Amino acid sequence: MKRLPPLILIACILLAWEAVSRSGLWNPLLFPPLEKISRELVLFFTRPESIMEAFVSLQRAFAGFALAAAFGIAIGMLMGRSARIAALLDPLFSGTYAVPKLALFPIFIFVFGIGSLSKVALVFLECLYPIVIVTSQGARGVSRVLLWSAANMGASRAAALRRVVIPAAAPFIFAGLRIALPIALIVVIITEMVSSADGLGYLVIYSLSSLKTDRMLAVVVVIAALGWLLDRALVMLRDRLVYWEKLETYYV
Amino acid sequence: MGLARAGALAAVLLLWQLASLLWGLPDYILSPLEILRHFFTALGSRELYEDIGASLGRALPGFVIGSALGIALGLAAGVSRVFDDTLSPVVFLTYPVPKIVLLPLFMLWFGIGDLSKVLIIALACFYPVFINAYYGARSTQRILVWSALNMGAGPARIFRRIVVPSAAPQIFAGLRVSLALSFIVMFAAEMINARSGLGHMIRIAENSLRFDLMYVSLASIAILGYAGDRLLTFVREKALAWQEQPA
Repeated sequence: MKRLPPLILIACILLAWEAVSRSGLWNPLLFPPLEKISRELVLFFTRPESIMEAFVSLQRAFAGFALAAAFGIAIGMLMGRSARIAALLDPLFSGTYAVPKLALFPIFIFVFGIGSLSKVALVFLECLYPIVIVTSQGARGVSRVLLWSAANMGASRAAALRRVVIPAAAPFIFAGLRIALPIALIVVIITEMVSSADGLGYLVIYSLSSLKTDRMLAVVVVIAALGWLLDRALVMLRDRLVYWEKLETYYV
Repeated sequence: MGLARAGALAAVLLLWQLASLLWGLPDYILSPLEILRHFFTALGSRELYEDIGASLGRALPGFVIGSALGIALGLAAGVSRVFDDTLSPVVFLTYPVPKIVLLPLFMLWFGIGDLSKVLIIALACFYPVFINAYYGARSTQRILVWSALNMGAGPARIFRRIVVPSAAPQIFAGLRVSLALSFIVMFAAEMINARSGLGHMIRIAENSLRFDLMYVSLASIAILGYAGDRLLTFVREKALAWQEQPA
């Protein structure tokens, strides 16, 4: 029952789209009929080339995201548990937080080349910030009583880290990852649109410039679905690992 | 805190400058002093101001439109069941979708001029503000609403005097995210397709190997992003002076 309203709304949007495209008031290039879009969608999944483009984009997003997660969680943990490291790194992160890292892309192209590496590096950099900031908040907020109890019962520092700090920070870590995952996809798509050589972002721009708007919309649908599916997958993983705390809000 | 911030940044810049003096850097990495020199040269020219003006002319209207809609609809969904049932599922369903992919579609519908860029920025800014306003309004303490009702306040008064102030800190958190986002989307849109603005400038510089201009554009967007964030934090502190600062 809870799933019904969005479905109704989506159906209304699709109906309105079809009505607009059939009305003949606008050029069919601007509002291609649903039938053509769905045909292109089927074509997308049957052509190996387009599957390859999706694979390339996903690979870049995952590589950058995984690197950012590994480094981000480690840095965030260190910043949360050590005042000295926090004093050293916090100014760097909070000072450059609001600066659009995307502007570094042209320089990254010169440093890392036009291929995947410059895109992965940019995804890494953009994803690093939310993960570090939210993880360090979580690691800092670990209840002292829990740490004292663990020490009292003879837990070593390593054991306390593994059994107390990491579980306590886990919901925060996942909150950071959840902010970073859509960013990874956005950055990959943007950089592929800009450098225009391969990937889903390139496919969107290429279909537009060859006036295949139905194909372009099919790719847009695929990207939207990917964004949604990745988010769902992360939430499912989170609910498995952090089963003791129910997910309620997007942000901590 | 200010000193520590300056210290860490100064150390990085010093290392960078030393590296360029001792070993020499490749052509595409300028030293901080060179960047500073080029930046001040560019400050003397009219082009930089035109590009900054064009960029702000896209980012700010997009930010204002998207945030205003986000606050209005987010608060509405937070207090009214009808709005909650119709709006929230759609917003949360489409939240993880990268909005920038709609830029080509918007270019078809609204032309390749500024309108399509302003609208895509507004769309991107809408989401964080909506979600924060929504949770901010929903986290209003019941006891405050009950007390107000008990003292004879009407729904409009409760909304204005209790729900909005309760949601304000979270709304500002959303605004901070969306302001940063507006600059990112603006820069992306200008890199993909524009004839002016900082994103366009960096593309032109890249294509003609004018590394000095690349760094001028980079420095400008960095300063704008940082200044915008500080300004918003300043406004927040003035507007929410009554709120206890979190540690």
